Amino acid sequence: MATIRDMMPAFELFQPTSVDAAAELMDEHGGDAWALAGGLDSMDWFKDRIKRPRVVVDLSGVSELRGIRETAQGLDIGALTTLTEVERHDALRSDYAVLADAARHVATPQIRNQGTLGGNISQDTRCWYYRSGWPCYRAGGNTCYASAPQAMNREHCIMGASRCVAVNPSDTAPALLALDAVVTVRSGGRERTVDAEDYFVGPAMDITRMTVLRPRDLLTKVHIPSAWAGAHFHYEKVQDRGSWDFALVSVAGAFRTTGGRIQEARLAVNGVAPYPVRLHRVEQALAGAVTGEETALAAGEMAVEGARPLRHNGYKVPLMRNLVRRAVRSVA
Amino acid sequence: MEILRRGPNPWGQEVLIGVGWDLVWLAVFLSVAFVVIHPLWVAARTRGVGTGEGAEGEAEALGGPGAGDLPERIQRHSVAARTFHWTMSVAMIALLVTAFVPVLGLQFPWVTVHWIAGLVLLVAVLYHVVHSMVWQDFWSMGFGARDLREGLAELRHALDPRARPGPRSGKYPADHKLYHHVVVLVTIAAVVTGVLMMVRIDTPFWSGNPYLLSDGTWGVLYVVHGLSGVALIGLVAAHVYFAIRPEKRWITWSMIRGWISRDRYLTHHDPDRWVVK
Amino acid sequence: MAEKLIGKDIAPPDLVAKITGRAKYAEDFRAEGMVFAKMLLSPMPHARVRRIDTSRAERMEGVVGVLLPDDVPQPEPPAEPVLAREPVFEGQPVLAVAAVTEQIAADAIEQVRVDFEPLPFVLDPLDSLRPGGPNAHVQGNVRVRGEDGTEWRDHKWTETDFAAAATADRLPMGEPVVEWSRGDVDAAFANAEVIVEETIVHQSLTHHPMEPRTSMAYWQNGKLFAFTSTQSTARTKGALANALDMDPEDVVLVAEYCGGGFGSKISGSTLMRLPAIFSRKINRPVMLRVTRYEETYIGRARPGFQGWVKMGFRGDGKVTALDLYLVEEGGAYGSGDNGTAGVVADLTYQPDNVRVRSVSVFTNTPPKSAQRGPGGAQIISMLEPILDKGARELGMDRLEIRKLNAPRPDVRFGPRDMGLTSVHAVEALAQGGEAFGWEEKKVLSGRRNGTKVTGVGIGLSPYTAGSRGYDGLLLLRPDGKLQVHQGIGNLGTHSIADTARPAAEILGLDWDQVEIVWGDSSRGLPRSSVQAGSQTTHAHTRANHAAATDARSKIQEIAAGTLGGAPGDYVLDGGRVFHRSNQSRGMSFGQVAERAIELGGTYDGHVLPEDIHAETVAAAGGLAGQGLMGVARDNYGGDGGVYSWVAGFAVVELDVETGIVDVTEYTGYADCGTVVHPRSLGAQILGGSIQGMGMAMSQRWVFDPKWGVPLAKRLYTARPPGILDVPLEMSWGAVGIPDPQTPVGAKGIGEPPVGAGAAAIASAVADALGGRCLCRTPLTPDIILAELEGLEPPFSRTATHVG
Repeated sequence: MATIRDMMPAFELFQPTSVDAAAELMDEHGGDAWALAGGLDSMDWFKDRIKRPRVVVDLSGVSELRGIRETAQGLDIGALTTLTEVERHDALRSDYAVLADAARHVATPQIRNQGTLGGNISQDTRCWYYRSGWPCYRAGGNTCYASAPQAMNREHCIMGASRCVAVNPSDTAPALLALDAVVTVRSGGRERTVDAEDYFVGPAMDITRMTVLRPRDLLTKVHIPSAWAGAHFHYEKVQDRGSWDFALVSVAGAFRTTGGRIQEARLAVNGVAPYPVRLHRVEQALAGAVTGEETALAAGEMAVEGARPLRHNGYKVPLMRNLVRRAVRSVA
Repeated sequence: MEILRRGPNPWGQEVLIGVGWDLVWLAVFLSVAFVVIHPLWVAARTRGVGTGEGAEGEAEALGGPGAGDLPERIQRHSVAARTFHWTMSVAMIALLVTAFVPVLGLQFPWVTVHWIAGLVLLVAVLYHVVHSMVWQDFWSMGFGARDLREGLAELRHALDPRARPGPRSGKYPADHKLYHHVVVLVTIAAVVTGVLMMVRIDTPFWSGNPYLLSDGTWGVLYVVHGLSGVALIGLVAAHVYFAIRPEKRWITWSMIRGWISRDRYLTHHDPDRWVVK
Repeated sequence: MAEKLIGKDIAPPDLVAKITGRAKYAEDFRAEGMVFAKMLLSPMPHARVRRIDTSRAERMEGVVGVLLPDDVPQPEPPAEPVLAREPVFEGQPVLAVAAVTEQIAADAIEQVRVDFEPLPFVLDPLDSLRPGGPNAHVQGNVRVRGEDGTEWRDHKWTETDFAAAATADRLPMGEPVVEWSRGDVDAAFANAEVIVEETIVHQSLTHHPMEPRTSMAYWQNGKLFAFTSTQSTARTKGALANALDMDPEDVVLVAEYCGGGFGSKISGSTLMRLPAIFSRKINRPVMLRVTRYEETYIGRARPGFQGWVKMGFRGDGKVTALDLYLVEEGGAYGSGDNGTAGVVADLTYQPDNVRVRSVSVFTNTPPKSAQRGPGGAQIISMLEPILDKGARELGMDRLEIRKLNAPRPDVRFGPRDMGLTSVHAVEALAQGGEAFGWEEKKVLSGRRNGTKVTGVGIGLSPYTAGSRGYDGLLLLRPDGKLQVHQGIGNLGTHSIADTARPAAEILGLDWDQVEIVWGDSSRGLPRSSVQAGSQTTHAHTRANHAAATDARSKIQEIAAGTLGGAPGDYVLDGGRVFHRSNQSRGMSFGQVAERAIELGGTYDGHVLPEDIHAETVAAAGGLAGQGLMGVARDNYGGDGGVYSWVAGFAVVELDVETGIVDVTEYTGYADCGTVVHPRSLGAQILGGSIQGMGMAMSQRWVFDPKWGVPLAKRLYTARPPGILDVPLEMSWGAVGIPDPQTPVGAKGIGEPPVGAGAAAIASAVADALGGRCLCRTPLTPDIILAELEGLEPPFSRTATHVG
């Protein structure tokens, strides 16, 4: 079959208005169905005719999935809440600024108006070989074109590779990890909750998926527990240009301090592995550490231990190290 | 049913990618079906008909002169041979589980375990080749005209209990030899293609290079690897099944303990063809 | 000249239509029975089509026809076919299908089977120059001037050439195809105080105009009606007619708006022929909407250079010797940027001794074409940091060394020993430096603020800015309004309106009495320059000046003939012509136009000047008898090349922990003669500079060497600069000294800013790195951080298409 791109093929479109109806449709059509949120990732795939779902379930009419609710336990963010809403929400800005900040770093204002939090954390990787429609492992084939000796892989991973060397492109994912967020997944009539960290799946586990979502699953909610409310936060994204770009490396941190010492920390990095990486060892080392440059330097070094860069992305090791440093350094 | 998976390479040329995963389901289905149907069939077939099994009394008669000199326990598998067998089986089970369980839907990080198990299998096979040629009676595994006659007679007997069982075998019965040789071929195919495929992945010793061979060649290797893997599902299932069948369990024990009883020896084996010194 | 209009900010007449969306671009046109075409692109960088099977596609309901390589001419390379039987880059159109909807056409493409035979391909020119290296075309890898014009050659260097380069860690330099020199470079180097030598790589990069090269076409009564996206209009019509082997008078070309071309749509595009040919075959109007994806492949690219330079300096900072070697990546169908690059380098540094050697190698990458400042922008961005190196070694101020070396009015340059009509580069540097605050800013160099280091840079960039000898065509209508017919294009530069100002000025008309006719060849377009090479401001202020001068004479003659007195006694103002002694003794322009029609002959265009171009004759013929016609060829003449200059100044902050460069301030200062339209000039200087910043910093064209196909082929992966990459502090200015050899004094400005922006950033980044020149573009954070961290570079000094 000859290839043609940039021209969407036909599919059956469903536009449910309730979560129940959406879940039912997803259940009914199983592997044939594609859940469409903001469409920024989906439309690319459709237009390139690389992913060709028979059925598309457009969630944009499901108002239950939108909006941010404050509860005693924290915040519940509907999966369809736009990144602009996340970026501008008062409680998020004041108490969980790392997430608002992360949302603000996504692409462009237009994309943030359209893009959703659920979509942002569920989006597929941007590996340019995979996105070219090549039959790589992630696409069900048997080759990783990005790790071949002469391949171009400056934007690929330095850890967590397993045949596939793509990175997770989400800007908000590390912020969710840093906040101990919990997501809710609806599957048919059942719901389950998954820790944000476990929501993301590496290629060693499943090379064709970025998240735990399988056919029939619907991400419905992101819960931000109040545990980290008002903590010291840090978010930074390094990208090739000022807007409309994915992170080369991004870092999100949450810190509680007392008397010049870090009590507890959360640190997550994205753009370095096929999934957002939570730095558990660094967090443990930081607990009880004195704030300051020395701690920051040690944290940076520890963060990149075991990193295994590809040919063109050696720079990501010092970049990740420096961003972790800066996150720890930000704790005054 | 998808037998072969094809896909366009980056230049849009159709290339083989591997076997269709439907074959895995087929192999699993056939294996399960065999394991379920075979005992029922055996039970139905043997109802009211003597099987010849457990006719220990015949042993003496068949034994011929000198049988009394034999020890009570006849050594059938040396420690070395048993070590090989069980190492290989662990590696094989690990390979099959890591290869196919994720395909069947249960995800876990399988790649590293798979290639390490593959290397263990490779080492075991190499060891076995050397061991069998130098220390074992290599030709005892040879499959000749007598084995063919024996095998055919056994087959007739299996299909029709009234038919005479085949003559007693040498050290290894014809069906065992045949099974062994099929497994040899399939395993060699899997191991050779598997070792070549390791070129493509990153290991602590080298970085993967998918371009060492052409797309077409890799496709063939993937298909051969996949087909041999799928075949091994059935072969291993059959092997395990027979190993735990009551009438064959003494053979299984011999692979654990190393010996068989003199009675078994005399009943099932032809001392002329398997000379116990 | 009274100059009521020249130098004023006047909104162009197409502004409202563009902002409100009423403007019709090529893809907005529809025609009865129109079908949509979709193309099948080559999946391989070099292949031969062995077999095509369209039977399944043709059986699909709604499919109207197919267009195959056999249906179009297959010229010998380096001419480019519309559909290729031997595609020479991934993404080259191979066939097209037309259907009643675009959806069906796309689905039908998927049903087409093409059997391609892969052929050897090459991406990096140096690989093609290696002994036994692959050629992009089966005919060869370079074009050389032979006995009967240019011919193909299989041009290879020796192993020794490559080995010597490897030892010296520099560009290999075998036998060039082009070589010219002046003076004695070797002797000059022997006497030089300071010598700087570097191998520099300038990337190739795609144009990415906002509007892809979409076209629609249909035939009626043997006439072709074509709607396309092009920079020019009159010349595009000619090019289309020529390509289809037709009489230009049988072509109606409509191209009122163009969403950017940057040199990739100068006289249309190869692809604009496709709907025309397809429509002729299936006898229905055909629309070919080119997608963003297709545009990336087909939409042309700036050629990259792998270069080597050696610059020798006298103790006082004068560049005494320049030795330049350029290997150009010519792409699938060749490029000539290397020639311009050598000339621009010579012009900018004015060395007494110069040697330029180059070879342009065909590669299996998407076709190259002019891109805003072709050749010049690259070489300036490559060489300005090298000049800085020399200044540093000499302990000289970087602004002073540029002023010292910049050309003076007596300049001679290039292999043809040219002069210039005017040059005020030194003034641009001095005034720009003043406006930017060079003296205060230069002390910030190397200042550390947290993890950020400040760098300050300059780039001085010339480019061609004019041409002569085109025609102007005006019509003063009986309603008193002036129609200015513009054969140039409308690609967003405002020149269709701005170059008409001298006409209104000469006729003393208010601007609201002027109507611009453009973009539709059926309305009569005079012979014009192509809308390229920054020439239209110069060329068409002249042409319209000439036509208006002609019209003024005719008006005065009519007034004198009607009211008595000598023509010279009559003045024109406010839409009237009147006697200088008595304002009431006059006629309205409407009356003049009516009188012209009565008089006929030369007055209303029935008799035309002998020296105008045949295209103008045809255009004027259609307007004759409708009013008073001003029509004339630009015979003002002139001596020397027309060049404009931009001096760019930048401050950057480089974060040493991330490699990110933030451009915080930028000033662009131009020498482009008289300023016609200040706001538009500012947009050109700053817009062009931003384009140059993207070229130096973030934009890229990455290829996979194994498969020979591009990877950064999406707009978001190609990364042209976005609004947040634009410095917050930006300013511009112009020297404003008229060019004495052109009546309005104005020169063009489209192209010089690109090199200035790119070079100022490259210079500032090198400054922030303490004078270390990375000597390659793009200067992405990974490359900068790797340098700061002392990491082993993952690619060689001459590597291209990486990143």
